[in-house]
Amino acid sequence: MDGSVKLDEVVMRFGDFTAIEPTTLAIESGEFFSFLGPSGCGKTTLLNIVSGFLTPSEGQVLIGGEPMAGVPVNRRPTAMIFQNLALFPLMTVFENIEFGLEVRGVDKRTRREASERLLSLVALEGSGPKLVTELSGGQKQRIAIARALAVEPRVLLLDEPLSALDLKLRQHMRAELKAIQRKTGITFIYITHDQGEALTMSDRVAVMSAGRIQQVADPMTLYRSPSTGFVASFVGENNRLEAKVIDRQGERVRVDAGLLGELPGRAGAQAPLGNGQAAALYIRPEHLRPVTQGASGPQLEVDIVSVQFEGASLMLQTRLVASAELLRVQLGSELAKRASTGSFQPGERIILGYDPDDAVVLPDDGSPRLDEETGEVVETTAGTAGAVQPSGGADVRSA
Amino acid sequence: MFAQLKARFGGPLAMAMLTLLGMWLIVMVTLPQLQMIDYSLRPNLLPAEVGGPKDGWTLDNYVTLFNNDIHRGIFFKTLWSSILVTVLTLIVSYPLAYYLAKVATPRQAALCLLMLIVPFWINEILRTYSWFIILAFRGPLNEILLALGLIERPIRFLNGDAGVMVGMVYAYILFMVFPLYNAIESLDDNQIRAARDLGAGTLRTHRRIVIPHAKPGIATGSIMTFMLAAGSYAVPALLGSPGSRWFTQIIYNWFFEGGNWNQGAAYAFLLLVLCIGFMSLVMKFFKVGLGDIAK
Repeated sequence: MDGSVKLDEVVMRFGDFTAIEPTTLAIESGEFFSFLGPSGCGKTTLLNIVSGFLTPSEGQVLIGGEPMAGVPVNRRPTAMIFQNLALFPLMTVFENIEFGLEVRGVDKRTRREASERLLSLVALEGSGPKLVTELSGGQKQRIAIARALAVEPRVLLLDEPLSALDLKLRQHMRAELKAIQRKTGITFIYITHDQGEALTMSDRVAVMSAGRIQQVADPMTLYRSPSTGFVASFVGENNRLEAKVIDRQGERVRVDAGLLGELPGRAGAQAPLGNGQAAALYIRPEHLRPVTQGASGPQLEVDIVSVQFEGASLMLQTRLVASAELLRVQLGSELAKRASTGSFQPGERIILGYDPDDAVVLPDDGSPRLDEETGEVVETTAGTAGAVQPSGGADVRSA
Repeated sequence: MFAQLKARFGGPLAMAMLTLLGMWLIVMVTLPQLQMIDYSLRPNLLPAEVGGPKDGWTLDNYVTLFNNDIHRGIFFKTLWSSILVTVLTLIVSYPLAYYLAKVATPRQAALCLLMLIVPFWINEILRTYSWFIILAFRGPLNEILLALGLIERPIRFLNGDAGVMVGMVYAYILFMVFPLYNAIESLDDNQIRAARDLGAGTLRTHRRIVIPHAKPGIATGSIMTFMLAAGSYAVPALLGSPGSRWFTQIIYNWFFEGGNWNQGAAYAFLLLVLCIGFMSLVMKFFKVGLGDIAK
């Protein structure tokens, strides 16, 4: 059963608005693949194109190698789990799960066997005769999964299905979804704006912004080696320092960070960094740590503005002495302990260091990025626009 | 209810509202109905004999209907024809309501609703007359069909029940479209999408998802259309042929031609019983309560 999904130069336009820029992407059979991006980035549009609710303006979709052009929604080997689940409220749990089989003319006994089997898969044995309105949020979630799996889809499409659940249940359902995916071997295509969901469950993630795939990679690579400024600031937290490239030797890059002087970093994957090019240095809060004066490696002098205790860690909001830019620092539990003995108080001046391998240098490519203060996507005007080269070892091309 | 209204509008205003409501229900609805029942149970007497020895309660007026083959026939014909009108109106209205609620863009829906409503700014008699003209033997519809070569000689549309059916479906379509529209509009689009996604075709999606959801709307629209059809006077009077008389016409004749109000009241009461009976049946069949219908 080939559940591979291929997007071939897919473009989606609504009037003058281009929702999906030309996108080519191959999702392997049996893969847990996520589209991650802020709302309005086009990820739901892509899902609707795969499911058949939308017909792409250009390009085509292939599922299991078969072109899907002209194949209506109800004839595609896909099943969708809707954001609001869309269970049928006037039907029992059994009827909900068996709906897709009933449509296919499966006889009553076989239908009932299948729904019993699926109910045990989602650990809800015995709730078949109930009305769906009698179920709790998490139970409804599982019925929605069972209903979608009942039609034995080759590809399961999930449109932010966990967003309506509370935090604890959401985390539990993540593990459960992943387990069901492994058990069934069905290709899962998961849409989310929650990076935690995407990173914990997915084999590979496509980060999207403004109708364009920014990077396709496994979660670890995505986090460690973002290939665009957008990915660097959208996936996980990042401090962004504007800089100019001084020189590059293999992976290692030296940049001129203006008032902060010369700083070392690691070149982002396949990022073309010529000498003198406008760039940005990304350092994650957890990669900054206090060092003593005169220690080797890069040094950044900061004043602590505020301190947030987060249980396992301590979050410092600091201001660079030299440039007055804000820098967020996350201290692990060992260092956080020192806060209780009077260290790391607002107003204190400390020196921060980092491992150059942890600081990624990316060209200032003018791609949209997240505003660190508001969390919204902003279109940067700096740099040369349109020169985005997404990468990450995946066969993705965005023109 | 008084406490609620008082909290909202103050004592005097609340009192005034409830008094008006009470007056409306008692003076305009209950008392006339009671008087009509009283009329129907008394024999038709000369004014001088009223209150005399011949005056007294009797079921004679009701028995008349069951002894008069023609009247009984028209009574049941009215029942079947009204049911047929209701079903036809439902068949015409459902696709329209679905289009308005789920397919049309807001602009298209507004335009379509306007086009549906505008004819109703004209008096019902005039609207019915326009059908009389359209369907006439030498009317525009026949002319068009002749010109297109679809028929060889004009059809007598107004002979028999066809004209009455067309006229009534047209006259009462809004009373069906609006409850249906309200019901379908409240259906989550994802329900329809989910059914499609699970493999259901258009027909099954409607049969299993949209129609069950729209049940209260179907019940409301059907009851309203049936009541209006069974109680209609103008449409059968104008568009009906002598052979397609409506029960309301018989009632009218008892009152105003026969001068027998008592007999007319008995017939009218029977029509009311028929309507209430139909309404209860529909409500039972669709499993909806009075509260759903009032919405």
